[in-house]
Amino acid sequence: MVLTVTMNPAVDREIYLEDFQVNKLHRIRDYTKTRMSPGGKGINVSIALSRLGIPSIAMGFVGGHMGRILLEELRRTSHLITTNFVHVDGETRENIEIIDEKRHTITEINFPGPEIKKSDLEAFLRRYRTVLARANCVVISGSLPLGVNEEVCAELVRMAKESGATVFVELVPSIVEKMLLAGYAPDVVKLDLRESGQTFFSRKLETFEVHVEIAEEIASKSKLAILSYEVKNDIVALDGEVWMITAREEIDLSHTLGAGDAYVAGMVYYFLKHGLKPLEMAKYGFAAALASTRMKEKTWPTLEEIERELSFFDLERVK
Amino acid sequence: MKVRDAMVYDLSAVFEDETVENVIRMLSKQELSGLPVVDREMRVVGFVNEEDLIKAIVPSYFSLLRSASFIPDTNQLMKNLVKIKDKPICNFMNKVPVVVKEDDALIVAADYLIRYGFRFLPVVNDNMQLLGIIRRIDVLKVVLEGKEEI
Repeated sequence: MVLTVTMNPAVDREIYLEDFQVNKLHRIRDYTKTRMSPGGKGINVSIALSRLGIPSIAMGFVGGHMGRILLEELRRTSHLITTNFVHVDGETRENIEIIDEKRHTITEINFPGPEIKKSDLEAFLRRYRTVLARANCVVISGSLPLGVNEEVCAELVRMAKESGATVFVELVPSIVEKMLLAGYAPDVVKLDLRESGQTFFSRKLETFEVHVEIAEEIASKSKLAILSYEVKNDIVALDGEVWMITAREEIDLSHTLGAGDAYVAGMVYYFLKHGLKPLEMAKYGFAAALASTRMKEKTWPTLEEIERELSFFDLERVK
Repeated sequence: MKVRDAMVYDLSAVFEDETVENVIRMLSKQELSGLPVVDREMRVVGFVNEEDLIKAIVPSYFSLLRSASFIPDTNQLMKNLVKIKDKPICNFMNKVPVVVKEDDALIVAADYLIRYGFRFLPVVNDNMQLLGIIRRIDVLKVVLEGKEEI
């Protein structure tokens, strides 16, 4: 069973506009131009896996009216997703994504979410420990809510590894740094680089060379490291090798919502079916992400759609 | 129709050593009338609902009275709650949990819900581990949706 952890889930609201401008009233008259769905990176992985017929348990914190909406929507999405959330005071956040179909841009506004009390975190850790007995694969991804410090993620990795699970993470560099410093390296690391200007151990993630260097450094402790480089490339490092995967066609930036989560789901799917084969997992994940970018809305590809994409990218060894 | 067609796959539960106060807070936050009680292996060992907890704080002699309306309120409920709030919920739970399995016929779940007066039942696997719950409304909804198949 796959266990996904989303500490700070959200109700995602996608809004499609023709010509988004700041300081201007935009009135939506067509309901097909707006969509509400359960979100947060781990939850997205659970939903994407359910499209591939893979059951999972989704864990995290929810609160208030928005939390109840999120759970109802998630349960409606698929019976392959078992929910296991700690209910907290405060409201689950809403994430607003404004997709401009004319200018091909995405503007995202992410709320902070409820503040997590010490007792809520303790309740979560106890449930997590119990559910780990059922999990052979754990996915930890997304942002952290207020009240949860970055060291908690290293603790989650430690507990999962001790229970014998294979651990995938998609997290911001600062959290991955802490995991590596604590000596608890996940098996698969995909850095969440959506925010610009991020650093990894004080190095700015700007040039190709720095991306390669950091991927190698992570892979020296994990089995697979993946870093996005510009929109259409991924740097993939494993066992002394570094590869670059490049999409053959240009990718529309406004179609990239959820692509990173589809990537992780693709890797998890490949791992469950074929075992831990890092380069093959990365290729499958890339194909899943590519398939998700074919549609403008946040959608999750089927197996056929993923496999069709396997011939639409190039693989080159760079080191 | 099977239980799996109507159940909610959710692992909301309380551990048997959880305090009464925490359980009341959980029920309140989740707007639930009751929760399965589980051990460390997530096996269902009991069931707790609002009724059990209210019974625990209402003075026992009340059940002997035809009416309690003439008795002045002396904050008896609060005083009794203070006495039990830190006690483990296993002292107040229903220790013979009524459960169903995913492959049980839906009519079995419907019968248990009415026979035992519960608003929902835990759904377990062969090891009694919690898989989810089935609520009265889930039974009614799935039957309503499936009526056109007949």
